Amino acid sequence: FKHFCLEILLALFFQLFLNPIFGPREVSGLLDGSVTVKCFYPQTTVNKHDRKYWCREATRSCHTVVSSNGYVAPGYQGRVAITDFPDQGVFLVNVSGLGLADRGSYHCGLGLNNRALSFQVKLDVSEGSGCRALLSFLFYVELQGSVTITCSFGQDYASIRKYLCKMEKSGCRNIIDTYGKVDDEYAGRILLSNENTAGSYSIMITQLGWQDAGLYLCGAGVYGESGETKEVDLHVYEGQGALPQGLKTPTWVPFISHTVLGVKGGSVTIECRYDTKGRSSLKYWCKWRKNGCSRIIDSNGFVSDLYEGRVAMYDNPENNTLTVILNRLADSDSGYYWCMTNENREKKTSKELKIVDGEPSLTGEEEVEASVGAPAQLACSYPCKYYSYEKYWCKWTRSGCTPVEASDQSRAELNVDCDKDNKTILLNFDDVALTDQGWYWCGVKHKGVYGETKAVQLRVSGEPRGRREVSPVRATAAWDAPGGCPGARGSEHIPAAPAVGSTRSLARGAGGKEPGGRSRGDRSSPVPHVPALRPADLVSVGSYRTNISMSDFESAKEYGANDNACMKGTQETQIGGDGKSRGGPAGAEPLGERRPSLPQSSKEEADVAYSAFLLQASAVAQGRGAGGDTAAPPGPWDGRM
Amino acid sequence: MSCKTFFSDTGIAYPVLAGYPQSYDDEEVVLVNNKCKCVTVTSKFVPSKENPEEEILERNIRIIVPLKSRENISDPTSPLRTTFVYRMTDLCKKCDPIEIELGGEIYNAQQSTSCDDTETCYTYNRDKCYTTTFPFLYHGERKILQAALTPASCYAE
Repeated sequence: FKHFCLEILLALFFQLFLNPIFGPREVSGLLDGSVTVKCFYPQTTVNKHDRKYWCREATRSCHTVVSSNGYVAPGYQGRVAITDFPDQGVFLVNVSGLGLADRGSYHCGLGLNNRALSFQVKLDVSEGSGCRALLSFLFYVELQGSVTITCSFGQDYASIRKYLCKMEKSGCRNIIDTYGKVDDEYAGRILLSNENTAGSYSIMITQLGWQDAGLYLCGAGVYGESGETKEVDLHVYEGQGALPQGLKTPTWVPFISHTVLGVKGGSVTIECRYDTKGRSSLKYWCKWRKNGCSRIIDSNGFVSDLYEGRVAMYDNPENNTLTVILNRLADSDSGYYWCMTNENREKKTSKELKIVDGEPSLTGEEEVEASVGAPAQLACSYPCKYYSYEKYWCKWTRSGCTPVEASDQSRAELNVDCDKDNKTILLNFDDVALTDQGWYWCGVKHKGVYGETKAVQLRVSGEPRGRREVSPVRATAAWDAPGGCPGARGSEHIPAAPAVGSTRSLARGAGGKEPGGRSRGDRSSPVPHVPALRPADLVSVGSYRTNISMSDFESAKEYGANDNACMKGTQETQIGGDGKSRGGPAGAEPLGERRPSLPQSSKEEADVAYSAFLLQASAVAQGRGAGGDTAAPPGPWDGRM
Repeated sequence: MSCKTFFSDTGIAYPVLAGYPQSYDDEEVVLVNNKCKCVTVTSKFVPSKENPEEEILERNIRIIVPLKSRENISDPTSPLRTTFVYRMTDLCKKCDPIEIELGGEIYNAQQSTSCDDTETCYTYNRDKCYTTTFPFLYHGERKILQAALTPASCYAE
């Protein structure tokens, strides 16, 4: 009796664990017709090359009917064929010319006949067309893998409740339905979504375990009362490189990769793998809810507003891995998250995120305020365990976190330091601009795998102040001599308005006269209005180096070269000439003729003269006349200086 | 958890756990799946015979004895094996490295101490390739060649 009991248990045992071969439990065919049996096997190397067979069950053993080694039993010649598809993990057995004697139990299997690697198939042959075709969808899924079941019932059922239930001793247990009810055992790992065609829907289940194997019914309506159903036979097998054979002890923690623990305030890195097929399709990450999966981030640059600055997604097509980083974790982040691609056949990955108490490893200020133009520093402290890891700073954007590097030439003001003694990573801004505002992440990376991150928000405030850009476009210009300088020079030549890079002369104000004493009132030519320059804004002309030979200046003073405006007591040395107005027809007097002795003017005056020359050149270019001046511009320069 | 040696179907008595999830009714847990010696041990909860209200842990041990195998399975010329020894303590050892998580990092760890790599096998493990060498006389020349004992398992791909 004990022996018998043991054997019954063994039969069930085979069914569950040691039987990776899967096929239809029953097939039926018509008299003289044919039937095809499809058997699945795990795609391990040994399975792909092993012998495949179809045998008929007898009292003590199973007699081979046909095998992939070429054997065909007598009596079946020409009636039976076996075809193997190793790259799909499937082999087909085709039996034709069915007779009533063919009814019975068969096995499709791998290896040698009487071992455990086979699946029992009951073959039924009937006359006439009254047979009920038992069509159940077979799904053969790897352990910890995912499956997508599609059921369609036609347009009539478009708005009727759809459901999936699992067949058990006591009936069909509801797993999920379109009213939002989800069985606890499947919470977080099952999704029901309506397809585009009316009345059809698909159900995705991930993290398949041994207990998920069995018979399901997908249907429309209510089980046992109304509507239609379709049978789904789900079988779970162990693929290559999975856990040791179904090993699960009562005290063991569930297989790690499906539960991710995150510390409050810290960050998690979640990796999802996808098949090669999904390489170029849209990928997104969403949070599971009873009525669907709400999108958080996708590969097109979409980021949900609730997650701004907290989430980034990296795609690595070489490894077929998708990495998602979520930081600033809070208790509300617990739940199930799915990595999805648009491809239906894709293996979907779902992970459960659990938030636990603890301290994040990367610490630092979460918000930093800075003013425009001032320096700023973002600091991130790391513990000993990250000493040998690669550390980085990056700026968060909707399409990812772009690393900020010290060698980036275009932003030379930033640099990234690692102060080894204090174990801090610093991100320095020499000069903060408004565009620097935003989220910055400091993070660690190890062997190409993203580790912990920490988000810091940089807020920039204030008006631009202090520093100005020197640009030739901006007009800078006239000296503003407040109050005017009455009677300063008397010479009415070109107004001196030296300024950096300026080629325009600007006269200001009715009352203000330029140091050159130039009266302005008669000017009829329009002068563009330029904002007054504060004296402090002007850059000293003296900083220019020019190779001007003093002898070239006849009378620099005549060109208004005097920056000691309104100072009566100064001594001014003339550079040649006597300060008289210089006039004359063009080209009448070559400059050289009136060359005096070398003037002993100050360097300043020479520099000013140079600027005056620039003004003059501009004036000449503009064809300006002297207006009401008594003085005419000096003769042609011939570009000489 | 140490393995007790017994071949009956009574086991350790456990009190019924309240609120037992219904899906765990039929769950059978695999404790040992030793392909080398062809031993499988599983356990499940069953109602006790003395007191049907109670559930006890039942352990099932399956041993397939390969009577036609050699003493050294890699050497077909060695004599037939006549002695087969099965020790539960040895079988229950978990010597395969397992991934565990410590502080957020995943490590490979071996669960048992004193793991002896050299375990004598009584039969072939289907996932491993077994070969032997033999002398081959060809054109008067004697060469030592290697041959596969389990061809299906010896493919590279």
